[in-house]
Amino acid sequence: MRMSTFLLIASAGLAMAACGCYQSPAAAEGAQPPTFVPVGPVPGAGNAPVVQSNPYATDPTAMEEGRKLFDWYNCSGCHGGHGGGGMGPSLRDQTWIYGSTDADIFASISEGRGKGMPAWGLKVPEQQIWRLVAYIKSMRTPEEPDPPK
Amino acid sequence: MFSRIAKHVAVIGTVLILSYAAYVGIVRVRANSAPKARGAADPPAAPALIKFISPLPNGTWTLPAGDYANTRYSPEDKINTQNVKNLKLIATFSTGITHGHEGQPLVVNNTMYIVTPYPNDLLAIDLKNLTGPIKWKFEPHPDTRAQGRACCDTVNRGASFADGKVVYNALDDTTIAVDGTTGEQVWRAKTGDVSLGETTTGAPLIVKKKVYIGNSGGEFGVRGKLVCLDLKTGKELWRAYSQGPDSDVRIGADFKPFYAKDQGKDLGVTSWEGDKWKRGGGTIWGWLSYDPQTNLIFYGTGNPGVWDPDLRPGDNKWSITIFARDADTGYARWAYQIEPHDNYDYDEIMENILVDMDWNGQPRKLLLHPARNGFMFVLDRETGEVLSAQKFVESTNWASGYDLKTGLPIKNPVFSTHLGKVASGVCPSSTGAKEFVPSAVSPHTGYLYIPAHNTCMNYEGMQANYIPGTPYLGASVKMFQGPGGFHGELVAWDIQNAKPVWTIKDAKFPVYSGVLATAGDVVFYGTLEGWFRAVDAKTGEILWQFKTASGIVGDPMTYTGPDGKQYVAIYSGIGGWMGAIAQPDMSVDDPYAALGATGAMSEIKSYSSPGDNVYIFGF
Repeated sequence: MRMSTFLLIASAGLAMAACGCYQSPAAAEGAQPPTFVPVGPVPGAGNAPVVQSNPYATDPTAMEEGRKLFDWYNCSGCHGGHGGGGMGPSLRDQTWIYGSTDADIFASISEGRGKGMPAWGLKVPEQQIWRLVAYIKSMRTPEEPDPPK
Repeated sequence: MFSRIAKHVAVIGTVLILSYAAYVGIVRVRANSAPKARGAADPPAAPALIKFISPLPNGTWTLPAGDYANTRYSPEDKINTQNVKNLKLIATFSTGITHGHEGQPLVVNNTMYIVTPYPNDLLAIDLKNLTGPIKWKFEPHPDTRAQGRACCDTVNRGASFADGKVVYNALDDTTIAVDGTTGEQVWRAKTGDVSLGETTTGAPLIVKKKVYIGNSGGEFGVRGKLVCLDLKTGKELWRAYSQGPDSDVRIGADFKPFYAKDQGKDLGVTSWEGDKWKRGGGTIWGWLSYDPQTNLIFYGTGNPGVWDPDLRPGDNKWSITIFARDADTGYARWAYQIEPHDNYDYDEIMENILVDMDWNGQPRKLLLHPARNGFMFVLDRETGEVLSAQKFVESTNWASGYDLKTGLPIKNPVFSTHLGKVASGVCPSSTGAKEFVPSAVSPHTGYLYIPAHNTCMNYEGMQANYIPGTPYLGASVKMFQGPGGFHGELVAWDIQNAKPVWTIKDAKFPVYSGVLATAGDVVFYGTLEGWFRAVDAKTGEILWQFKTASGIVGDPMTYTGPDGKQYVAIYSGIGGWMGAIAQPDMSVDDPYAALGATGAMSEIKSYSSPGDNVYIFGF
């Protein structure tokens, strides 16, 4: 079959399996940020907590899966086909309103933000959010899967 | 090696051709410039060719389009082709919000009313004291989360004034009536739900004692609807959806669509697969017009929910449809679906201009609709019959024309869009041969002045998930400038002969401003680079221009000041779907961003920064 069709079906399967669509309601399938991730500055010297880094930080497969999840969860509809912006800000540039570490980006996706970013942590499992973070951090690097052209 | 040389030659050649086209197109249009004038009928002499059904009262501007009929023609003539070259800047204000300033101010009782982009403050400016403090500012404090649901910038297209009240919509689906004298809220009504992705960006229309409001959110699968509120209390009287059973759509025994394809029961359900009509789109975010003789409201609906057409088999009624409704009851008198089973996001919310004019020698009641899809529609507004549909932008290729017997487009199957297929070089793009920015008509020339675009696109249908409150698209779109060496043009369209007479071309950017026509035979419009221009209505000669601080996406209006002189006002603050690429949080290395518009606007940041100004010109 054509590659694009295969990818569509594969990504559908991946997301269906992982989204928890048919897990029992009692299971905690949402993903709160794994550690306390401060957005503002921490008062006092040397008190910043150690935050978790992305377990998939350098994993090209995870970046590709993140790319598919970026469309699957409609991120591309607000943030642009390849993250260049639209209803939401660009994810390709160096301006990070709520911080640029992996944990910061995880928290923004999971908790949502005030101008309309949804709180995906109530719907998307932790492993998928880390994959999205891996894809977002890969933008404008040689590792970016399916770069815009 | 030859292909490399050929490529360099092609690039240099293109640059030369584009530069020449820019020179000719912008600077040198003159009365006798033969290449631009086609079908050269002599400009007709008086008497007026067009009878206006709701002429604008002299001196004020109390409705979004000035008048009910959406002509955007003012009887003011103190500014004319002889003296407009002396026009100067009288005053300028900042609104403080550097997002797209669409729409136009109102002027009544020596007060100018301005609605800002989100957070949708209402400013009252004292025209007797332009250099003094503002009269008051009303702050509605809309829900901040609405900002992330606005597909095409956090814009607002203006207010209506009646019965001492200024009525307008805030982005979070709140309609507010404010006392025009005191600035106090009179009432507030909630008409939609931001959590579904529903916002409101359009201007309300007030007719007699009723307020009419549309909605936005076609990119979220939101159901379009027209809501009617009581002007005194804000209580909802009725609403008419853009899909669903006839009872939802307010279709009853009086409904008489002209074409067979639009006749039948409950088409708002049966023209969809299963219950997909519940995510049916057809939002109503453009302009509303009204005919006092027949008491009918006219408007068009937007794209159907989900951009990928294969995900919604059927005609998808009543998306992309012009409706005529009884202004009191809301029941539809006729409907004409311009593009069944939309393939392209061709929202048809453009203005429907109502004029009485001779057509083929017979006096006729017309409705003029310069369509997003590139065709200039002339309808009989009593029946919905299409009298003419001619291309007003040459590159239009998705269809070759319209069959006037059936009302259907004659589509070019090469450019159909499908799941898993890339349709390349489709013209116009989803942003259209014309966006929502309104045209104007002159009774002296019989021309419609159309702010037009020459933008094309690649459009790939994809799988889509409906997650409420998030985009429901299923399309990957990249736009780019169309062929011919220009990206925009102001087209003077001879209505009766259905062809262009002259155009002013813009090499780089589409024309994204509204147009104003005046009895002084001066036509005003603006460019995305920020030029505000006065043009001879008969010949297209540029008589005057002024470089404002930011790109113009608003609509010029004119009024009589307290001193009896004529003034012209325009917003200057770039934004909107195509203009928002100038915002700092947009990256131009992703041509698919901003629903594909970034691909066509990659140079805009060098030509315009965001702005927030109101400019008033006079003598």
